[in-house]
Amino acid sequence: MAEWSKIPPNVFSEKGSVPLSLQVEVLKGVSEFFNMSWIREGELNLIEKLSANILKAGPMPKHVAFIMDGNRRYARKRHVERQEGHTQGFDKLAETLRWCLNLSIHEVTVYAFSIENFKRSKDEVDGLMELAKQKFIRLLQEQENLEKHGVCIRVLGDLTLLPLDLQQHIARAVVATRTHNKCFLNVCFAYTSRHEIANAVREMAWGVEQGLIKSSDVSEALLGHCLYSSNSPNPDLLIRTSGEVRLSDFLLWQTSHSCLVFQSVLWPEYSFWNLCDAILQYQLNHRPLQKARDQHREEQALQQHEADRACVADLLQHHGNGKPLDAQRRQEALLNYTASREERVQDFLGALQHKRDSFLTDLTSQAALA
Amino acid sequence: MAIVYEFVWQVLHVLLHIHRTLITWFRIRLRNWNGRLWSRALTALIVPMALSFPNQKNIVPAPGKRVDRRYRWGADGKSLEKLPDHIGLLIAEEEPRYTDIANLVVWCMAVGISYVSVYDNYGVFRRDNSRLMDEILKQQQELLDLEGSKQLCVEFLNNGTDKQDQQVLSCQSVLKVLSPDDGKLRIVQAAQQLCRAVEQRDKTSKDINVTVLDSLLRESKSTPDPDLVLKFGPVESTLGFLPWHIRLTEFISLPSHVGVSYEDLFSALQRYASCEQRLGK
Repeated sequence: MAEWSKIPPNVFSEKGSVPLSLQVEVLKGVSEFFNMSWIREGELNLIEKLSANILKAGPMPKHVAFIMDGNRRYARKRHVERQEGHTQGFDKLAETLRWCLNLSIHEVTVYAFSIENFKRSKDEVDGLMELAKQKFIRLLQEQENLEKHGVCIRVLGDLTLLPLDLQQHIARAVVATRTHNKCFLNVCFAYTSRHEIANAVREMAWGVEQGLIKSSDVSEALLGHCLYSSNSPNPDLLIRTSGEVRLSDFLLWQTSHSCLVFQSVLWPEYSFWNLCDAILQYQLNHRPLQKARDQHREEQALQQHEADRACVADLLQHHGNGKPLDAQRRQEALLNYTASREERVQDFLGALQHKRDSFLTDLTSQAALA
Repeated sequence: MAIVYEFVWQVLHVLLHIHRTLITWFRIRLRNWNGRLWSRALTALIVPMALSFPNQKNIVPAPGKRVDRRYRWGADGKSLEKLPDHIGLLIAEEEPRYTDIANLVVWCMAVGISYVSVYDNYGVFRRDNSRLMDEILKQQQELLDLEGSKQLCVEFLNNGTDKQDQQVLSCQSVLKVLSPDDGKLRIVQAAQQLCRAVEQRDKTSKDINVTVLDSLLRESKSTPDPDLVLKFGPVESTLGFLPWHIRLTEFISLPSHVGVSYEDLFSALQRYASCEQRLGK
């Protein structure tokens, strides 16, 4: 969802030059937008229910990621304001979340705002930030709804790039829903995959600086645990709408073995059947992807084993007394080393989680004081 | 009731598989039929030439035709609105056919693409790269009537060094053979390198950012990220292809690399030429 909203700039900057009727219309639309619920109530109709049950007889994705593209094109197609395109887009998100719950898909990740979007004009970016703030405020007002559905909201991205008040609202929403565990909505905001990976490397370097881990502990698994998405499994299915066939710096690490489905429908026109089609694609690809994933995991385990062996050999060389150890002693040393490495890594990950939690709770206490 | 749904699901998937198989079969039949027509037309054209070259039995076009094709392919490349600087050929099929892959590589270079990468998720090409190289040189000769490194030149890049940078400048096209180890594993190795630097107090964690990591992951300073990846095979996934480098890469799927034709490649390139990238704006 790289193109969220291009609010007519004169709404925010040249108030005097806009006719009053237009201002009222825009504000009406905007407040309607703000009152939109994040979760649509509703059940599937009979045919939809039947289809859902048939699909569920096969393997179902547990985590789906969406790149919700096509709002602006939809608006052009329907000859409406871009604002309306984004309103419908958000509406569609709420509906899609409902469908996912009906299909027992309990984790959804969406791409809301890319770091690249900061390149847009200041007016546009400020407008977007304001919109996001209102959305998160609205989210907090829906506390009961969220609790009823057990929705846990997570925001992935570099929050420090956002205005402070928005950071505080996000922190409040995340902390308020932290303990919910029935379904998970991950919103990527101020996010790009490269920043996420670089941040993970930086966190590991921080761990090394703090003496929590050694540089030899760095592995693919550890890097994965340092990403913003560390509390989620990798997406099984990634869907991009509007016919574009690229990933646009979204979850590049996490989707290396996911099923990618590119659909030409524009996001505001997304239907239950489009979702079923994507899930069908996932089911057709399930076995070969499972095989590829298992193979990759095996290779990873082998590489880790080799790395541990090399470290142990190194240690023995440096601390040994020159006498070669027998195979059993070597095996013991390897097991001990692996156990101590795993313990180090767990302590480090605990410290990292604590750092992240503190960042959010500090923001919420700032917000409370303000 | 669950049994009924499961039964319907099984039927649905059987139908889908049949549908897929039929389409593949139909496509191969159509190609063979077209191919026979084309080869008949070609035979009609070169029969007069064959009369003066009694030894020529197969349908290999005469050298003059090969040069024509080379120029035609070059012209095709120039006629496109945009051509990728770096194309990735992702073979997501169990058994690679080296001749077909070599054809693809040679066509890409003839059309004017500067960097061509070949990837499979088992790492077969990497391990067996001499076989691939031999096949490519053979196809270069066969399709374009070029020997060795006259106009097109194939550089095998594994790890970028300054020396190879210089060699690259003298070549028109560069071939890279990739495997999953060039993806996540390279990123992990770069991360280890940076963490070691931090351990040795050469760097602090705050020095680490996207630019620093990117410069470590670039094969050489001049190699661009892949603009386009052509995926061959039924599996809808990147299968570990260079996660860091594919942030803005267009993905176009083709059913199979087996028996792929120049027209297949060119229509994918035409599709790429019509893509619009807004880059966040």
